[in-house]
Amino acid sequence: MAMLGFLIVFPLIVAAVLAVVRNDAVRDVIVVASAGVIGVASIALVAMNIGAPGVFFAYSSGVVDMVCMAIGVLIAAVIIAFAVKYKNILAGALAVVQVVLSLVFELGFAHGVHVEFGLYFDSLSLLMAFIIGVIGSGICVYALGYMKDFQHHEPEGAKDRRPLFFALMFIFLAAMFAIVFCNNMVWMFTAWEITTVCSFLLIGFTKTEEAINNAFRQIVMNLAGGIAFVVALFYSVVDMGTLSFTVFIAQAVLNPAIALIPVTALAFAGITKAAQMPFQTWLLGAMVAPTPTSALLHSSTMVKAGVFMLVKLAPVFLVSTVPALMVMLVGGITFLWCSFMAISQSNAKRVLAYSTIANLGLITACAGVGTPEAVWAATFLVLFHAIAKSLLFLCVGTAEHHIGSRDIEDMDLLFDRMPRLARYMMLGIMCMFIAPFGMLVAKWATIVSLVEMGNIVLLIILAFGSAATFMFWAKWLGKLSGIAGQPENVETTVHRSEWGSVVLMAVLLVVACVLLPYVSAFIVEPYIAYVYGVGGQAISTDNLWISSICVAAVVIVLFAGLGRGKSRRVNVYMAGITADSDARTFRNSLSQTSEATARNWYMEDIFGEKKLAPVGVGICIVIIVAAFALSFVGINPGML
Amino acid sequence: MTMLSALIGTLLFAVIAPILGCLLAGLDRVVSARMQGRVGPPLLQPYYDVRKLLEKEDASVNSVEKTYIICALAFAAVSGGIFFSGGNLLLCVFMITLSSMFFIVAAYSTRSPYAEIGAHRETLQVMSYEPMVLLFAIAFFMATGSFNTASVFALELPAVVSIWLVFLGLLYVLTIKLRKSPFDLSMSHHAHQEIVRGITTEMSGPTLALVEITHWMENVLFLGWVGLFFVWGNPISIVLALVVMVFVYLLEIFIDNNFARVKWQLMLKSAWLVALVCGTLNFVLLVF
Amino acid sequence: MAFASKSPWVIHYDASSCNGCDIEVLATLCPGFDGERFGVVNTGNPKHADIFLVTGSVNERNISVIKEIYDQMLEPKVVVACGICACSGGIFHDCYNVIGGVDKAIPVDVYAPGCAVRPEAIIDAIVEGVAVLDEKSKALKEQKKGAR
Repeated sequence: MAMLGFLIVFPLIVAAVLAVVRNDAVRDVIVVASAGVIGVASIALVAMNIGAPGVFFAYSSGVVDMVCMAIGVLIAAVIIAFAVKYKNILAGALAVVQVVLSLVFELGFAHGVHVEFGLYFDSLSLLMAFIIGVIGSGICVYALGYMKDFQHHEPEGAKDRRPLFFALMFIFLAAMFAIVFCNNMVWMFTAWEITTVCSFLLIGFTKTEEAINNAFRQIVMNLAGGIAFVVALFYSVVDMGTLSFTVFIAQAVLNPAIALIPVTALAFAGITKAAQMPFQTWLLGAMVAPTPTSALLHSSTMVKAGVFMLVKLAPVFLVSTVPALMVMLVGGITFLWCSFMAISQSNAKRVLAYSTIANLGLITACAGVGTPEAVWAATFLVLFHAIAKSLLFLCVGTAEHHIGSRDIEDMDLLFDRMPRLARYMMLGIMCMFIAPFGMLVAKWATIVSLVEMGNIVLLIILAFGSAATFMFWAKWLGKLSGIAGQPENVETTVHRSEWGSVVLMAVLLVVACVLLPYVSAFIVEPYIAYVYGVGGQAISTDNLWISSICVAAVVIVLFAGLGRGKSRRVNVYMAGITADSDARTFRNSLSQTSEATARNWYMEDIFGEKKLAPVGVGICIVIIVAAFALSFVGINPGML
Repeated sequence: MTMLSALIGTLLFAVIAPILGCLLAGLDRVVSARMQGRVGPPLLQPYYDVRKLLEKEDASVNSVEKTYIICALAFAAVSGGIFFSGGNLLLCVFMITLSSMFFIVAAYSTRSPYAEIGAHRETLQVMSYEPMVLLFAIAFFMATGSFNTASVFALELPAVVSIWLVFLGLLYVLTIKLRKSPFDLSMSHHAHQEIVRGITTEMSGPTLALVEITHWMENVLFLGWVGLFFVWGNPISIVLALVVMVFVYLLEIFIDNNFARVKWQLMLKSAWLVALVCGTLNFVLLVF
Repeated sequence: MAFASKSPWVIHYDASSCNGCDIEVLATLCPGFDGERFGVVNTGNPKHADIFLVTGSVNERNISVIKEIYDQMLEPKVVVACGICACSGGIFHDCYNVIGGVDKAIPVDVYAPGCAVRPEAIIDAIVEGVAVLDEKSKALKEQKKGAR
């Protein structure tokens, strides 16, 4: 238990220190050291408890309750202050509603309910702790170098607000640890709200008009989710008399009818946090933030809190049809729609954002299916998505600072200009969309679990979504792979802290892919067995090993095999007289020099955002409204 | 066990499939020539072509293109090995997609404008046929209760009886996969239908030979998918499957020679529509 | 035996021909003459071709293009000058802008005169060229062995 407490409190202390440190060198040391401590501590926690079923700690404290209430009020105060400053009525109103509701709840209802086991962990929490502790703190280290460049690009005399930035990053980590370890739903809710407000501040960090607008969009959507969370707490106490998350889930599984509304509300909270349609716009808007923020939000924190909640609820979805249908359909449609819309994007960060939302959609859909096989797939999707996405964000961030653009079209020749970085980026991309890498293995398991259930709708969605996924990743991968003669290598000026984090992610990714059968056997399977009592691995271990051997082969080719060819070099065919093969220029029929250019396909007229987004948002709103209506009426089709 | 059989299967496939694929390619050229009222080349012409290409000078525009092509070849062999050793059909599908990806990346890596156009189109082709191919694997599971191709031998009736709609859908996208007109957008075997040589513009000599061999293997694998629909517990069914495979191949040659290339919009939309209709209807028929 | 002779892939370039010879080159591949009997394929890409069929004479504008195409073809390669203009400049030989036959730009292996050159003559020339191709292929093999 000391370990859990340490993981939650230590980042807070670090954050407090960082908030006052203004010296670059001191900050470097503190961040690297504490990130190392957090990483080692979380790995130690996982290693010592590998394969553990649920472990509960008897811990309840009135002080913590009071602190939570105080934090709740503080959060509301911060939001209301910003809402007043920027005249955003909606955000202010929602914050007021939420704080009033939660105060009424905590003072009036929660008082009599005692949660004996305040902290706990199981294999899923351990996996999440690993993701937060290793990937999250890796991103914090990366941010050191990135934010130096960032400050460098700021106008002369701009205030150095990096202390705030780093403090927020570490508070974020602490809140995430709290979410995955707290069994007391009030504590969990407080941590949930901390992540909301932290990401609000991080998104609005640059204080441009766009950033402020997007930050408010984020806070409005997530406050709606937060209110749903409070509603769930009310029902949980009144109808079920408990605030323990595990007891809540167990009771909901036994008696789905009584838990219908709280489960739907919690699922809704998860959907908002996981940026599922119709709430996908907040995550897209979050792209204005500095890249480490995006990496943190996308890979290891924030959105992962949303899917963590949904995966936790998966056993309930198996027996409770209304929320299950809502989660499944919203997830599936989000996956399909966002994969389509990603095709039309040329901004690398937007492609990443759409791909994140799409993959979260897939995880959401898997959680909604709720069978052991589906949860197995969802867990792997969480793990691989976290690693691969953080790797990609870090690579894009570094590339952006060195080539001056985050447009995919400008990444032409990256393989030459930044050979190592391009390889890491290619590795990350491959992991996202192609077998035998992790994401595809998880998708494979998803297909198996869906087909065993006979879930036709999701199967069709998956088939088309995967095809779209291939399109937008493959064309990016292709752009990266271009090679010409000897352009200038601009890679030498990359910060060491950035390299450190990028390499860490890449190594994690390869290790996780190659050792996938072990990850399944020792981390994912124990959780499935603990929750369902049966195994969930839908793919035979032999086939998993075939995949991991293939991964090893591809990685070896990528890092050792490329660039060894010794054949005679010839010019590119230009259908004319080549002027410069590397620059793709040729002498045209008027004896002038022309440049040949080739742009990727974005197919605006078929997959354009403006065309598709309203439809997807509309469908998802209808689904969610219908689910809530059915829940309140109390109809559970399972009982009909 | 699965791993060992997949390994042996891959090695055997890597030897046998190029031979069969080469004969199929030769058959294609002879039949096409006859359909055009010509005598045509000898049956072994594709073999001569590849041997010649291997004899040519080794030159390329960069140092990585050939490595990618070797990967494409290797993973095509793995895919075929998994399929014909009775392995997991989904894994087979994923592996052949990996092979396609390496082929695409090889073309992109050259930065040749013409090869890049081919690569874009190839990517689009993958996106066009991928839903139907995935639905084919899923339908196979629904018909046999397993993703292992070996499970067809336990059937009492061939899979085509229950998933005939998916079979038709697969036939439709097979034209794309076999690179036959009207869907030969990324590269064409016909002279003067292509902007330079599409995706293979920069691949020359030995590299092009490897590309050809990869395509031979792919063709054998895809015909294997077709045959899978017609095999059941009875050993004689394999003969039936072979007959159907030959028939389907001749049908594809017929289509190839009778249609002009279509625009990409039509290819994408029609292939997705076919997948949606065939897949959904067939699943509904199976479940209810 | 070298396989080069079994599969001569050609590329056709119209230098400054009047199109008479070009039509005959294409006719060679059509059903009536069916060049594919000998494995002839018109590639349209110098990187894939073994035999370079040039029609028309060389002038100041196209000499660099001819050289470029020739350079882009991989060894072993053969050049066939198709038609009298390609062989010597033909009736245009003393035009102000004409340099002369193809051999003014690149080494030519086979000359196929005619105005326009007949498909039979082109097939003959290709078969002649194939013999040269064979020799060059063998030489290349020896060279490769020598290099080892």
